[in-house]
Amino acid sequence: MIKINNLDFAYKNTQVFKNISLEFQKGNIYGLLGENGVGKTTLLKLICGLQMPQHGSVTIDGLTPSMRQPEFLQNVYFLPEEVITEDTTPEKFVQKIGVFYPRYDFALFNKLMGELEVDLSKKFNELSHGQKKKALLACAMSLQTDYLFLDEPTNGLDIPSKALFRKVISQYCSDETTVIISTHQVKDVENLIDPIVILDNDDVLMKASFTEITDKIYFEYGPERLQNAYYTEMLPGGYINVMPNTEHLESNVNIEALFNAVMKNKETIKNLMK
Amino acid sequence: MNNTFNINRFGKILKHDGLNYFPNIILALAILWAIPVVIYLFTSLMPTEETNKVFDACGRINIIDALTKIAVIIAPVRLYKYCNDSRKGIGYAMLPASTLEKFLSMVFYCALVTPIIYIAGALAIDSILALFNGPYEGFAISEFFDTMSQIKHQLINSGVRWEEDLPVYAEYDKLITPFIRIMLSIFGILSLSSIFMFGNMIFKKHKTGKMIGILILLFIIFMIIFINYVANNEEYFEQKLTNIDGENFVKLIIYYFTRGLLVVQIVVSALMLFGVYRKIKTQKY
Repeated sequence: MIKINNLDFAYKNTQVFKNISLEFQKGNIYGLLGENGVGKTTLLKLICGLQMPQHGSVTIDGLTPSMRQPEFLQNVYFLPEEVITEDTTPEKFVQKIGVFYPRYDFALFNKLMGELEVDLSKKFNELSHGQKKKALLACAMSLQTDYLFLDEPTNGLDIPSKALFRKVISQYCSDETTVIISTHQVKDVENLIDPIVILDNDDVLMKASFTEITDKIYFEYGPERLQNAYYTEMLPGGYINVMPNTEHLESNVNIEALFNAVMKNKETIKNLMK
Repeated sequence: MNNTFNINRFGKILKHDGLNYFPNIILALAILWAIPVVIYLFTSLMPTEETNKVFDACGRINIIDALTKIAVIIAPVRLYKYCNDSRKGIGYAMLPASTLEKFLSMVFYCALVTPIIYIAGALAIDSILALFNGPYEGFAISEFFDTMSQIKHQLINSGVRWEEDLPVYAEYDKLITPFIRIMLSIFGILSLSSIFMFGNMIFKKHKTGKMIGILILLFIIFMIIFINYVANNEEYFEQKLTNIDGENFVKLIIYYFTRGLLVVQIVVSALMLFGVYRKIKTQKY
């Protein structure tokens, strides 16, 4: 389990997090959402030990990431947003790093490369941006670490690849795995992530599962714009209204509408979800 | 699990870094190996008495020594250029090995493997070139292990009375023993390597150039202080050098300078290597 307690973090004079506390449980695929620059990548880096908290603590299964102990490192993998690759084939790359990970499975890598439709024989620099991302995703998943952190994984992927990405992630994650996907493209991870964490400047606006969200927030699809809605958006054929679920009605979460509702009613929804 | 050092994990990081070793450094080493070949070709085409004299085995050892130092200077940047890069260095930082294992692997390849590979290759090339009837006389490899002792024995064999004919050299040989010479060579390489490994860890761009600049600056500062000190104590040095104790005074300076240099090399190596270790451990990305 990932525990973040009273975390403060700043880059020089820019405060990124102020006294935030969060927990990430095993067996979930978390969506880390937020506008550009709110600190999604920074939070992942803090969890991975690539940055160090100024105050407070971050622990994963009792280990402190910033200590960079092998026991911790062999259980986590961070796939950054920017595709930086070596002048080698994905196969050689994964074989080189795979030996460090106790549950690394080369057969799984081959299978994933097949499912993601990436050419095995080509070097990274001969692959397109999207292909590189998919190859690195196959590498990351074949390491079978307990914690997998993906920073903007769908950036640069075409539509079929985004669907393949969702399929692969949901297929290979187990009860022992924690995946955190940081993204501002919420549509790409719809039906994949649950729970979601929404970050704002130096704060956490929401951390809730879909059940918790639909308990308190109702997503109404109708022909008209409702006055008491937190947020309303015109869709083909009508409107989506995000509103308080005072009558305990059942609905499906529309992540994009929820995100926009949270952004427009930060304090209200933050207090509602407490 | 031992999070500080594990021999299996160390083997894995050695293999990991080793797989990156040749693709990253071979071109640089090849250029450095080519320099003695170019000198050979140049002196073959334009042989003069002077060049023949310069490129005897002893002279070539000095060239190989200088080129080895260049190889050691460039090795950290060639091998670990991105390890402190906020984006490209993430893979290195996240590799499941301890700081100590990563550090030892870095020292192994930069301070040990690189000079050994370069020297071995350079001596092999030199030996091949020396086989031909060209400007390279003698084998550099035969002079390699202790040039001073080799010279001494050659001179004695050629009829020179070491103590009587060359008293200054004989005295120098006593002051700087083979042990001190070997230690100076080893720690000379280690201190140079550790300085540039540290530079590679603290600078993001133009790492080698910035470190060379700092060293030049430090040298200038040291020389200014030294010259000022000598100028301010001119009378004392003049007196010491001209009176009856002059010879002993010079010997004393040589004795303390060599030992002092060795101490400086050891201290610099220790400080720089500690700095490299700390930077690997605490580098933020």
